[in-house]
Amino acid sequence: MIETIGAKSIEMSFDLGRFGRFLWKSLLASLRSCINPRTYPLVWDQMHIIGVRSVPVVMITGAFVGMILAVEAYDQLAGMGLEEHLGVLINISVVKELGPVLAAVMLAGRVGGALTAELGTMNVTEQIDAVKSMGTDPIRYLVAPRVLGCVLLTPFLIIYADLMGVVGGAFVSLEEFGINSSGYWSFSASGVEFWDVSIGVIKGFFFGGAIAIISCYKGFTCREGAEGVGRACTEAFVASFISILALNFALAIISKAIYNTLWPIKIML
Amino acid sequence: MIENNKSKQDSEKEGGEIIVVKNLSKKFGSNVVLDNISLGIEKGKTTVIIGPSGCGKTVLIKHLIVLLRPSSGEVYYKGVRIDNLPDDKLNKVRTNFGFLFQGGALFDSLSVAENIKFPVKQHYKVTERSGLDELVKTKLSLVGLEGYQDYYPAKLSGGQKKRVALARAIALNPEVILYDEPTTGLDPIRSDVINELILKLRQGLGPTSIIVTHDMTSAYKIADRIIMLYEGKIIADGDASHIRNHPHPVVQQFINGRIGEDDLAVLRASGTIFQTQYLPRDFEK
Repeated sequence: MIETIGAKSIEMSFDLGRFGRFLWKSLLASLRSCINPRTYPLVWDQMHIIGVRSVPVVMITGAFVGMILAVEAYDQLAGMGLEEHLGVLINISVVKELGPVLAAVMLAGRVGGALTAELGTMNVTEQIDAVKSMGTDPIRYLVAPRVLGCVLLTPFLIIYADLMGVVGGAFVSLEEFGINSSGYWSFSASGVEFWDVSIGVIKGFFFGGAIAIISCYKGFTCREGAEGVGRACTEAFVASFISILALNFALAIISKAIYNTLWPIKIML
Repeated sequence: MIENNKSKQDSEKEGGEIIVVKNLSKKFGSNVVLDNISLGIEKGKTTVIIGPSGCGKTVLIKHLIVLLRPSSGEVYYKGVRIDNLPDDKLNKVRTNFGFLFQGGALFDSLSVAENIKFPVKQHYKVTERSGLDELVKTKLSLVGLEGYQDYYPAKLSGGQKKRVALARAIALNPEVILYDEPTTGLDPIRSDVINELILKLRQGLGPTSIIVTHDMTSAYKIADRIIMLYEGKIIADGDASHIRNHPHPVVQQFINGRIGEDDLAVLRASGTIFQTQYLPRDFEK
């Protein structure tokens, strides 16, 4: 029993150390790739695969988030005669929390799974070793473009999710529940600040980076065989999901602290 | 640095050994795969490493290009210790090597031409596209696959994949070519095509070749020197006639393709074919 716990602990610390090294190398390689025009075509390809092809699913996710919020919150607010405040509730929830988080979770499933499966298959068929054997750093060639693609495009995908969330919420509120549109939009405009939208979009850089690095790491370290690749994909999604939630929590605390420092008077009001 | 210079002098004294391995051991967990191996690879010669499956041949060849780092021991290329080099320096050393992987390891998402261009694009600033196309054409004609530039690996047969992988391995005109089981999975005729290609490359480019195989026909045909690995150790080392007449029973058993008495006894003890076809009566189709 103690032996098993000890062996697991050692294995976990080795894995953590390996991930730390991988993270550091990936960040360095990504920064170098930013100033190396030879890698731009690779980044461009990844931006197309990761970003452009994810637009439909992210937009659908955003629209449903807005619509569901409207359906669930209407009764409570209408009971108090505050139905015109529904816009604030929906829009602030969408742009600050639910839009970014659910768009990122959708990306972790769609993009993260594909990255892990692709790199995992390359790993088990010795293609990553082949890259190394030809004197090329696989992290620079395979990981950095994917990290940059995710980091640069996740914020844009979040903007799409936010927009569709706002549209979806407004559609249900105005068309289904017949809320007065001028009241709905004026309360929304007064309640949602540029800061809220910015925080949601900034989160996208961190979520995108986490999804790409975790998924690539799992692909690079996956075990042999179809079962190994399948397991790596599952682990990548679970780890990405947890890291998105953890990062969201940390960023919420940091953003609140910054907001309170910059505009203390607004808090008092 | 001082150590590296000293080794370089030693290597030069040793007479043209391009790769030197000293006391190399490799463990995966508690499993010892290579056990204190020392050997030198002569420049321009074809060295074939043979041995039963799982004896550590592939692990050894991967150490020569430091795709794996040793648990202990040292690897030298042209007298410079390479097993402890950081990745950026190692990448420069690796441009002197070509590696033919067992399954070819061609990049699925790239065409045959793009696969062959890959190492060149990574290390040279290519100003004229026509130069690269010419290089691809030359390398493909060398392996007898001219006209296959636009094919994707999924459309190629096993033998064609290996030939394209060989064309990619020689794209940078390497000084050392490492072959991991080049004839495994191929029919005897395709295997002989690969053997002829290895001989042809030796005459043409004059590189040092190190080949891992358990195909003895291939080994006898192409080897200047044969090394046999068994349970992580070198048990035989010499030319073809030395290996043919080697007194070690495992060497004789391996080169003649005979099952060992112990293994035979286990098989006999496991029953007849009729007995192995037995199914319990309560199994239903």
